Amino acid sequence: MEFLELLSPAFFLLAAAGSIIGIIFGAIPGMTATMAVAVCLPLTYTLGLQEGLALLLGLYVGGISGGLVPAVLLNIPGTPSSITTTFDGYPMAQRGEAERALKTCIVASLFGGTFSALILFFFAPVLADFAIKFSYVEKFLMIFFAMSVIASLSKNILMGVFSGLLGVLLSLIGTYDVSNGGNGEYRLMASFMEPYLAYGFSLLPVLIGLFGISTIIEEAEKGVKEPSLENKVNLTKGTPFSYRIFKGQMSNLLRSSSIGTFIGMLPGIGGSAASILAYTQQKNFSKTPEKMGTGEPEGLVASESANNGLTGGALIPLLSLGIPGDSTTAVLIGAFTLQGLQVGPLFIGENINTWYSMITALMFANIVMFVVMFYAIRHIAKVVLIPKFILYPIIVMMCTVGAYAINYGIMFDVWTLFIFGVAGWIFTKIGIEVAPLVIGFILGSSAEVYFVKSLESYGEYSVLFTKSPIAMVLWGLIALSIGVSIMIHKKSKQHAKQGASK
Amino acid sequence: MSDWFSSLNTVVIDFDVSHQFFPRIIITLLLILGLVIVATNFRPVMRAIRSGRYQFFVKNADFFRLLVTFALIPGYFWGMDAVGDVLPNMGLGFLLASIPFVLLMSMLYCHDLTRRNMTIIVANAVIAPTVVWVVLYHFFLVSMP
Amino acid sequence: MKKLFQSSTILMAAACALAPAVANASDNPIRGNIRVVIGSKSTGGDTYQASAIIAEALAKKIDTNVKVDAVGFSAGYQALARVPTGNTLMIFHDQAYLGNLYGQKGYEDPFKEWIIGPSFATNPGNGYLIPKNSPYKNMDEILNAAGNGKTVRVAIQPGGVSEIGYTAMKNAVRLAYPGQEDNLVALNTGSQSDKNQALFDGLADVINGSVQANEQYTRLPADDQKAMDFVWLTAKASTIAQANPNGMGETSRDQLMQYASGLGVNIPMDADSDFTFDKEFFFLYNKRMSPEVIKFLDNALAEVFADGKVQETLKKSFFIPNFRTSAEAQKHFKAKRDSYAKIIDNLHK
Repeated sequence: MEFLELLSPAFFLLAAAGSIIGIIFGAIPGMTATMAVAVCLPLTYTLGLQEGLALLLGLYVGGISGGLVPAVLLNIPGTPSSITTTFDGYPMAQRGEAERALKTCIVASLFGGTFSALILFFFAPVLADFAIKFSYVEKFLMIFFAMSVIASLSKNILMGVFSGLLGVLLSLIGTYDVSNGGNGEYRLMASFMEPYLAYGFSLLPVLIGLFGISTIIEEAEKGVKEPSLENKVNLTKGTPFSYRIFKGQMSNLLRSSSIGTFIGMLPGIGGSAASILAYTQQKNFSKTPEKMGTGEPEGLVASESANNGLTGGALIPLLSLGIPGDSTTAVLIGAFTLQGLQVGPLFIGENINTWYSMITALMFANIVMFVVMFYAIRHIAKVVLIPKFILYPIIVMMCTVGAYAINYGIMFDVWTLFIFGVAGWIFTKIGIEVAPLVIGFILGSSAEVYFVKSLESYGEYSVLFTKSPIAMVLWGLIALSIGVSIMIHKKSKQHAKQGASK
Repeated sequence: MSDWFSSLNTVVIDFDVSHQFFPRIIITLLLILGLVIVATNFRPVMRAIRSGRYQFFVKNADFFRLLVTFALIPGYFWGMDAVGDVLPNMGLGFLLASIPFVLLMSMLYCHDLTRRNMTIIVANAVIAPTVVWVVLYHFFLVSMP
Repeated sequence: MKKLFQSSTILMAAACALAPAVANASDNPIRGNIRVVIGSKSTGGDTYQASAIIAEALAKKIDTNVKVDAVGFSAGYQALARVPTGNTLMIFHDQAYLGNLYGQKGYEDPFKEWIIGPSFATNPGNGYLIPKNSPYKNMDEILNAAGNGKTVRVAIQPGGVSEIGYTAMKNAVRLAYPGQEDNLVALNTGSQSDKNQALFDGLADVINGSVQANEQYTRLPADDQKAMDFVWLTAKASTIAQANPNGMGETSRDQLMQYASGLGVNIPMDADSDFTFDKEFFFLYNKRMSPEVIKFLDNALAEVFADGKVQETLKKSFFIPNFRTSAEAQKHFKAKRDSYAKIIDNLHK
């Protein structure tokens, strides 16, 4: 156990500090886990390798988890992968169950995080070999599968799908990027847009514009009235948290964590797809699918265990192929190169001590995350009690900082906030559904690359169906997912009719 | 039969114009769906608008706060960019624009500008941006205009 | 939006007018913090790594905060165009002019748009790989196969550093077997992960890669689906010879040398010279930056290199130190651009 000598008190201190700073970054709307890792990357220069990695892994775990706080309390996803947490978390907070929702999320996060760390530890090389069986075709189908959630999320299926496609179209604006395999040509652009939109709209500003800024505009329209005393969100009202919530959620936890880990493993699919896909699947398997989206803990469990499952998953290709699994690990790879350490298929075998210490840091960071958040949540939840006239300007300010910093200092990303803030406000008024639109936007550009590249490489449409057994299984799942969501819509229509006739 | 199938199945994508391939599919789908939506919903929607059941703005909309919000946010963004140009790479664009912005927006949204609330608002407008600036820009080296 | 920029230009002009009064206060003509934007959006890539090393050394030397921002080339150019004081600098590599030569969107001629600043490092790792179970064993076999009518698919990212080696291979086929060069087909992919995947899927016969990213794959046993071998490193043999003798991972410098053009591999540029490509990192400056600032930075970097410490740091990370002053770099890169322009033109005829 040589690696134990590498674990100094500083090692644990840094992992804990990373986890806490990460939570704060994640919890501020507009700041993400990726950003937390990116801003602390230069600090690791001066630290040793083990300590530097401990800090960054702590930031990663904390940052992904922290995103659940504003998602539940403010309906703004703190990081893109907590978008599905808003669907059930915010309605619960509105009912006065903020603490219950937050604690459910935190427990689910801990489960997802440790689950994926264990999978990483025991199966990384085997899973990496499985991951490279996913070529363009299978990756496209995975994304298509995740997109099928649009059908079940939308209030009106026609408008929902329309909104989703609109989101896809918005994501295509700009260059067909050569670094994704495109040809570097502009499309959907007018010449006046070129200086700003060469790389299209960035995800994070679009997201916080649609969720954060547009809420503030809506509120301004309504006059920003502070809730009267009796209507004020009461933190103690509503059902308190108890571990009984997780009764009957074991399969949900396991499934969602596995989905998270698995999506993390596939380079190029993008981390946000993890929670979206887990949420879809929970909706498909749920006994009461029509209730999801109205404040059901099972939705939170799916979303949060999946996005924390991502952490271990995304490290799998990084450490066993030298290829980052999501945007945060893409920054993390910098820590290795700055230390002169090579990552690739032989990394684990050649750096066994570093490997053990990374797993230790990952597990430890998850535990710190849980302890800190679980016991601090009572105080964090009080954010909802801050009067709006103080809270809103601060939200706008923080979103601005985040938008500007997400691509290391681009002013147009700040303007994007405003553009999508206004757009989001108008969308809800004309029946365009924001959640499907965002999902289309998140998944759109990778859907394009993998779809076009599949056809370009194989030259026939049928390859999408016949490429491999994996592809056929995926088609089965897609069909199931769409079928179930159509059934849900029919059911809820009948319910509405019965309700009306009563 | 099999010839017919294989000719239908074959697809050749010219790399030089491949950037148009996917957007065209999406636009086509959007147009079709858009037509279906208009065809099925045009009448009920028009009826709702004509009868006044559909209003773009909410009932008793607060146009003053809405319009000032629409001016304040772009003004804030423009201001930080302009200041950041004069004093580049020090994060001062952010700091010097945020203080008046937070102050004005708080005053705009506060319904009850008592002396006590004003004190809170002013203190918050000065402290919050400064803390963010010191912590994020100086400790964490986050980029700011 | 336009008006917005006009007014900010006025403010900027006012700021410039004020600047010289303060500049005399010390020998550092750049007042305030320096931001270095880089042409890559990744903080895990070689551009960021090389820039971080040089920025840290420069910051220490001139006692100023220097921050590296991975904004990508297009946003980087915009940021650079707005600040002529030297507070914003850019670091990029040969892509700056190769993107322009290949007609990529957004790449203007850097020699017209910018002042070429000092160069400081070379990444000698750019290369090409084949699967271990490939029917080809070396570059000669690949070129001969293409010359004899066999289709060879090469996975690259089009439009720049990744494509230039492919262009050279095509040119080599054209020289030996005129008219056969189209048997070498580009498979246009993006990131390194996509290129590797193309090899695993059997979609490509040869892929572009690098010593840093692919060395471990070359050490996998032949029965592993992921195993690869180098066939060519594009850098000059004399450049690779300056690398750390330990090379990268378990592959020593001498082992790497045998993949260099002129030693183990033969890729002709024309009848009498070999094709090589060194990926070099250099600064780009705003066109309006004053000669005084240029000189100041030239001197500062010259001193950094005279101290000798930065060379060690660069070598530790598999970079080759390579300092030229702004004026020398301008001349060097212009000549380099012209020689590549020739072979790209030849292939388009």
